[in-house]
Amino acid sequence: MNTFSGWLADLSHAGLLPHAFQYPFVARGLVAILILAPLLGGLSHLVVARRLAFFSTAIGQAALTGLTIGLLLGEPLNAAYGGITGFCLALALLMVFVKRRSQLPPDTLIGVFMALTLGLGICLLVAVTKRFNIHQIEAIMFGSLLTVTDTDLVLLGLAAAGIGAALALRYNGLLVDSLSPPLARAQGGDPAVSEYLFVLLLTAAITVSLKVIGALLVEALVVVPAAAARNLARSTRGYLGWSVVVALIAGLGGLVVSTEWRVPTGGAIVLALAALFFVTLAIGALRGRAA
Amino acid sequence: MTGPSALLEIAGVSVRDDGRTLLDDVSLTLAPGTVHVLIGPNGAGKSTLAACILGLRHFSGDITLHLRGNGRIGFVPQSFEADRTLPVTVAELLAASRQRRPVCLGIARPVRARIAELLARVGLAGFEARRLGALSGGELRRVLIANALDPAPELLLCDEPASGLDPEAVLQLDGLIKDAARAGTAVLMVSHDLAEVRRVADQVTWLDRSVRMTGAPDAVLAAHSGAAA
Repeated sequence: MNTFSGWLADLSHAGLLPHAFQYPFVARGLVAILILAPLLGGLSHLVVARRLAFFSTAIGQAALTGLTIGLLLGEPLNAAYGGITGFCLALALLMVFVKRRSQLPPDTLIGVFMALTLGLGICLLVAVTKRFNIHQIEAIMFGSLLTVTDTDLVLLGLAAAGIGAALALRYNGLLVDSLSPPLARAQGGDPAVSEYLFVLLLTAAITVSLKVIGALLVEALVVVPAAAARNLARSTRGYLGWSVVVALIAGLGGLVVSTEWRVPTGGAIVLALAALFFVTLAIGALRGRAA
Repeated sequence: MTGPSALLEIAGVSVRDDGRTLLDDVSLTLAPGTVHVLIGPNGAGKSTLAACILGLRHFSGDITLHLRGNGRIGFVPQSFEADRTLPVTVAELLAASRQRRPVCLGIARPVRARIAELLARVGLAGFEARRLGALSGGELRRVLIANALDPAPELLLCDEPASGLDPEAVLQLDGLIKDAARAGTAVLMVSHDLAEVRRVADQVTWLDRSVRMTGAPDAVLAAHSGAAA
């Protein structure tokens, strides 16, 4: 990592990169985004296909509750992985379990769970703020490059490799299941296994992304790339490709903007994503008019 | 017919949902190489029975599949409720069950050739790059039929496969179903088109939550028409 930081610093001194890239924490942020953007951007086209956008919001916001539980159990503030991951995974499994047994619309059920976890999180936060400065908790809510460590990057890389491998192995079944669960079942798939597997992978990807993008904004990176890609793509291959490209451009653009203008990284990435969405929307509309 | 010669045995299957009886003590058997058609009014439980066979609904009773060959079940669903704005092409849908490589990373050359042949069989040659959302209802149904027929399944479940097809395509579908049965596939089909039932069926079951009658097509259709008159 030091070699990479040094190389970026040299490029920065030579005027080939913005001034901020001479700092090691920005180099770590760049690596994090180069891992996160393909991971979340790649997942995003399946998130939209499986109509899990609201689910992603619920998991992102549940991280607050997970964080407070982790802190109350004695985890360090900058590495409350157990509380966040454990609570978010448990919540994801519970939401799918109840959804599969209820006749209520999925968005209604997710709304109920989101309210429950937010209420719990806010109550627990009161206890946590007696021991921690609330501003320290903001980092996990909005994302901060300053708190990303080399250990975080190793965990992020391992998680991304594992999630990517699992997705590659199950991709075709997940795609057919997104289109028609009965068809997937006839082709030897199990819609229940696909649903549980995908939400576990998505939840794992969201929780490892929180330090960079933030709990409140992570949903944007698992929804907007696919929304933008849909304006351009004409095949699944294009859908995946454009989702990753949009996530990468927004991630790198957001990083530069956040370091140059000192705004939170998560917010800058989300603004870049939104801008890209409207650009692709306009391109899609122009292309439709020309066709 | 029961035992080893039957490919599918349904014994005493009942489905209750929210206090309503959707299926009541339904029993039937299906032999390899035969076309068995389920007829009956809307809400008679025909699609529910198909869902039970696929394991998509809870039921009481027994459903036993004696799959001896490739174990494949071909399925043509009654409706395909996918988001039609998703950019998934015809070739990608068909390739998804025909290759291990994720279809988002491309379709293998031999699979492409096989898909081209399949689409030609259902009168959709050259439709590989079309998005599913850009297809008409009849074209989409033909894609689903192509998907169900290859590789030759041991059991072919078709839930109103002729729905949305023009008359010429219906006749083509009848030919494909009879070809599949001649090749040894057991076909269980739901249909409202009694003329089509006469053309393809070896056995007919008249279902109205419970089995009203099972037997040769002429006898069952006569009883069904008599009851409707």
